[in-house]
Amino acid sequence: MAAPSVAVLIASTTLPLVYLVWQSLRSTNLAMPGMDHFVGAENYLRLWHDGRFWDAFGFTIIYTGSTVGLQLVLGLALALLILQIPRAQWAFRTVAILPIVLSPVVVGLFWRTLLLTPDFGIVDFASRALGLGSHNWLGDPLLARISVTAIHTWQWTPFVFLYLLAALSTLPADLYEAARIDRANAWRRFTNITLPLIRPAIVMVVILRMTVALSAFAAIYAATGGGPGTATEIINLLAYRVSFAELSLGYGAAVAVVLLVVTMVVAALLFRLRRAL
Amino acid sequence: MVVAAMLLSIWVVPILWAIITSLKNEKEVLAYPPTVIFTPTLHNFHEVLFGPTNIVSYLTSSIVLATSTTVLTVLLAVPAAYSFARLKLPAKKPMSFYVLATQLVPPIGLIIPYYLILNRVGWLDSYKGLVLIYLTFSLPFAIWLLVSYFEDIPREMEEAALIDRASRLQAFWHVVLPQARGAIGVTVIFVFLNAWNEFLFAVVLGGSNVSPVTVAMYNYINTEQTQWAQLAAAALIAMLPVIALGIAAQRHIVSGLSAGSVKGVTRR
Repeated sequence: MAAPSVAVLIASTTLPLVYLVWQSLRSTNLAMPGMDHFVGAENYLRLWHDGRFWDAFGFTIIYTGSTVGLQLVLGLALALLILQIPRAQWAFRTVAILPIVLSPVVVGLFWRTLLLTPDFGIVDFASRALGLGSHNWLGDPLLARISVTAIHTWQWTPFVFLYLLAALSTLPADLYEAARIDRANAWRRFTNITLPLIRPAIVMVVILRMTVALSAFAAIYAATGGGPGTATEIINLLAYRVSFAELSLGYGAAVAVVLLVVTMVVAALLFRLRRAL
Repeated sequence: MVVAAMLLSIWVVPILWAIITSLKNEKEVLAYPPTVIFTPTLHNFHEVLFGPTNIVSYLTSSIVLATSTTVLTVLLAVPAAYSFARLKLPAKKPMSFYVLATQLVPPIGLIIPYYLILNRVGWLDSYKGLVLIYLTFSLPFAIWLLVSYFEDIPREMEEAALIDRASRLQAFWHVVLPQARGAIGVTVIFVFLNAWNEFLFAVVLGGSNVSPVTVAMYNYINTEQTQWAQLAAAALIAMLPVIALGIAAQRHIVSGLSAGSVKGVTRR
C-alpha cells in the first residue's frame, strides 16, 4: 500500500534535486536555449566572488535569526500571559489562527498597501501621531529590511503562541505548588521549572520556524520584490530573481544549492540539539 | 488582562483595517487622517465579484487546484501512512527520516527543476502539471501527520478482526479507518490550507490557464495601483475559505500543530 506513494516521494524530491545540482554545473540562459553548455564549478566560483550573493547571505542570517528570535520571545511571553487567563483563551486562540491561515502573499500585500504606505498606511499614520514622522517604510533599504522582518514575525508569532500555549497547558500544577511552598519567586519558578520542561517544545518550534524563515518567499516578494534594489533579498529570493528575472538558470541553481546545503546543515544541528535535550 | 488585550490588538488591527478599507469607497480610502467612521458600501465587493475584471475565474482555479490536491493526497497518504505505522517494513526508520527531510527542502531548490521538467513534458500551465507538483509537497506532509496518528491507534482491535479471519484490507477499512477520522480531518484541513495559499509554485508553473487567487492578488497590485478598497475586498474574498476553515476548525488546527512529536509545516 505504501509503494506507489513512496515511489512518488522519492521521484519527486530526489530526482529534481539531482537535476538541480546538474543544472548548477551548466550555464543556462532561458532566452537562448541553444547556447547551454557545461561549465563545471564556474557558477560556484562566480558565487564566491559575487557581492550580491554575500549581501543576500548576510541578510538571510540576520532576517532568520531576528524573526525566529522575536517570534519565540513574543510567542512565549504571550503564551505565559494567556495561560493565566483560562477564560479568555478561546478568544485569543481564534484571533491567533487568523494570521496563520492567511496566504503569505496576501499578508505581504496587506502590509505593503494598507499599513506601510507613506501618508495612507495606518502604521505610517501611527508613527506620525507619535511624533516619529513619516518614513518610506519599504523604500528605504534599512527600513525595508526591518519591515520585511516585522511582517514575517507578525504572521508567525501566533503559531509559536499556540504551540507553546498547548505545551504549557500540559505542565502539572503540583510542581508549581511545591515551588511556591518552598517560597520560590516567579522568576525562579520560570527558569527552574517551566523552561526546562518545555525545552523540547521550544526546540521543535524553533526548527519549524527556522526552516520556514529560510525559505520565506511570497510575503517578501509581495511586499518589496526583493528591493529596494537588492536590500531585502534573502538567498531564496536571489535564486528566484537570477533564474526567472535574469534567466540564467545555471547560476540560479547554484544559489539554490547553497541554500539547500545551509538549510540542511541548520536543520541537522537543531535536530542534534533536540535529541541531546 | 489589559496588557494581553493590547498585545492581541497587534494581530487584530491589521485584519480589521482590511475589512474597514474594503467597505470604503476609493475617495474615502485616501482621506487623511484615516477615517474609522464613514458610510460603508458593498460596491467594492460587487466590482470584485461581478465587475469587468472579476476574480471569479481565479476563485474557480483555486477551488479546482486545492480540492484536487486534497482529495488525491488523502487517497494516497492514508494507505501509505498506515503501512508505515503498522507493517514491519525493513527500511522503516530511514524511510520516515527521509519523509521528514523532504519537508526541509526549500521550495526554490525544486522550482527550477520542476519548471524545466514540466516545460519539457508540456505540462506547464496545466492542472495535471500543477496538481502533480502540489502533490510533491502535500504528500510527505500528509504522511508525516498521519503516521503519528496511526501509531497511536491500538493494534488490539485490528488484531481481533484479523483473528476473526478478516483480511488486512478489511481490518483497515472497517476497524482502523473510523478511528482515524479525526486525524484525516486534520490532514484535510492542513493540506487544503497549504494548497489554497500556495504562491511560488503557482506563479512560476502556472499561467493563463491555471491562475489561482494568490497570483491574482499579486496582479492587483501591479495593474491597479490605487484601487486599494478593491484590493482589500478581493483579498478578503480570496481568503474567505481559509479564514472560515480556520475559525471553524480551530481546535483541529491547534491539535494538528502539536500532535505527537512531529508537526506540520505551513506554506511560506
